[in-house]
Amino acid sequence: MRARIVARPNVLKIVDLLRQQGHEVVAPFCDRGRDTYFDVVTNENRDRVQIHLANPFYPPKRFVFPQIERLLTVQRHDGHLAIQPITRAPKRALFGIRSCDVAGIWHLDRFYLGGKYRDEYYANRRRNLFLVNVVCTDPDRDIGEECFCVCADTGPAAREHFDLQLTDLGDEFMAVAGSAAGEALFSDPIFAPATAAHVEQRRALLEAVRKRFKTTTSWFSATVRYVSQGQILEATWEQVGRRCLECGGCTFICPACTCFTVSDRPAGPGQIERVRIWDSCALAGFTRMAGGFNPRRAVHDRRNRRFFRKLAHYFIQRELSMACVGCGRCVAVCHGDIGMPSVVEMIRRATAPHPASAPAQP
Amino acid sequence: MNAQFQDNIYLPRLAVLDRVTDDIPEVKTFYWHFEDEAEQKRFGRFRPGQFAQVSVFGVGEFPASLPPSPTEAATFFTIRRVGSCTAALHQLRPGDRFGVRGPYGNGFPMEAYHGKNLVFVAGGIGLIPLRSCIVYALAHRQQYGRLQIFYGAKTPGELMYLPDLRRWEQTAGVECFLTVDRATDGWTGHVGVVGSLFKKPGVHVPVDNTVAFVCGPPVMFRFVIRDLLAMGFAEEAIVSTLERYMKCGVGKCGHCCIGVAYVCVDGPVFTYRQIKQLGEDI
Repeated sequence: MRARIVARPNVLKIVDLLRQQGHEVVAPFCDRGRDTYFDVVTNENRDRVQIHLANPFYPPKRFVFPQIERLLTVQRHDGHLAIQPITRAPKRALFGIRSCDVAGIWHLDRFYLGGKYRDEYYANRRRNLFLVNVVCTDPDRDIGEECFCVCADTGPAAREHFDLQLTDLGDEFMAVAGSAAGEALFSDPIFAPATAAHVEQRRALLEAVRKRFKTTTSWFSATVRYVSQGQILEATWEQVGRRCLECGGCTFICPACTCFTVSDRPAGPGQIERVRIWDSCALAGFTRMAGGFNPRRAVHDRRNRRFFRKLAHYFIQRELSMACVGCGRCVAVCHGDIGMPSVVEMIRRATAPHPASAPAQP
Repeated sequence: MNAQFQDNIYLPRLAVLDRVTDDIPEVKTFYWHFEDEAEQKRFGRFRPGQFAQVSVFGVGEFPASLPPSPTEAATFFTIRRVGSCTAALHQLRPGDRFGVRGPYGNGFPMEAYHGKNLVFVAGGIGLIPLRSCIVYALAHRQQYGRLQIFYGAKTPGELMYLPDLRRWEQTAGVECFLTVDRATDGWTGHVGVVGSLFKKPGVHVPVDNTVAFVCGPPVMFRFVIRDLLAMGFAEEAIVSTLERYMKCGVGKCGHCCIGVAYVCVDGPVFTYRQIKQLGEDI
């Protein structure tokens, strides 16, 4: 069995172990008020690493797909050019990543590493990343008003795609290995064997936690079907579009959004660097071509695009997961209240009660 | 942790500009070759309808159709000056270096069209991607039935690839019809939109066992499609190539995604039936 028990005072020793292995460990911390953030663990802040806290607004996506990533440099010398790819990626561990964000990274894996072309920049960062998932078990601190991972089937406990998973059982934590690298940690004496009673305790705990979510909708799967079949009325998208402020916030805090733009900038004498920068389908210029023609100018067309790309069955099959992990960040960030659960609700209200009577579309 | 990437999809290869020719106002053709001979050989196996990502370092990167046919020796782009990158490319002189990566996209399935009649309908710079198919079809003339070219531009001065057009007009086994929206001095040919050529006396467009290639500005596309459908073309028998804002060319940046298709990897060549299903304006 790949489960062990760690005594409560020893749990941050896992951070120490990972640091000793040469990982740069990133973990969540509390700032003032509700604010929480991921930061690199140092000797100074190590004791302030939090196990239970509100999930940080900025998802850990940036550790595999940075907001601005340098791709290559081009050096001009005597009329000749030399192109040098930038391939640095630190050996890093994410301690305390939530189950929704584990699902987010797994979605990015399918997207960037799957398909006809494989993104080596992403692969390089991902290869060097160790994930320690903490299960959300504290209804007051872990589970926010906006969390709906139970509807997106990503939480509160991830089933796979982590290296190590920690579940808080009170006086002790259950550690589950999800990879060979995770299992290798068990050779350290802080990990003691788990018993069947521990397993039962974890099961009962999760059973109880699942009932503590505040935002739930049973309409997610119906929405997936309606979006996939093109059964959503144009008027519904227009309604969504009218509430969109076109800020791009929903895409920038989304753990599963993948779009980027590419730009060249000066980097020194005779040198330029090419960077990729997060981009957003909410922005009017996203599809505007050099001549000025923009096939998707209307804001409701752009919103339609976002939800179609996230929920259409075609893409779910291709990437093996929805591009929504139920983290609820878009709910918190959106000033127009058109985060994912709100849009699902708008679709529920607008869609005919009998789908069979809706007009068939090819 | 400095890894060497085996296959970096974003890495442009250095190309040298050989010569530049003027085509029509604002449009130039850039002949080039890769610095690396092996790369040139690999690239030369592209299919008609594919495209490449062109880098002018310090300014940016943009997608460009490949107007040459793989049956020709030269590699070149024909580029209209329209934005910052294309303007920068227009500034380059022979001997200057720039970046190219590709070829990308599906291209036209020219082998699947063996035994069929090919009808090419182009407007303005829409002839750039179709030039590749026309030259390819002429190089494999025995594989295809009738070949017809319908091409229109605003004025006689804006007819693309004029030497090619004159040659195709003289080539046996090719029917080449030209038109302009507005005649200027010395133009004795047809005047009218491209679709008006279909009704010109003496023109007979084969419909059965025929593939129609359509490429041009949106308004021309809509009218030509209407004409072709009225003539009896099936939606699957009409093919075109889409243009979209693109940053990567390899299905990652997300800009060119329409419906369920990424134009860069699932396209840019689509049948009219597919274009209709994607559900966005061309």
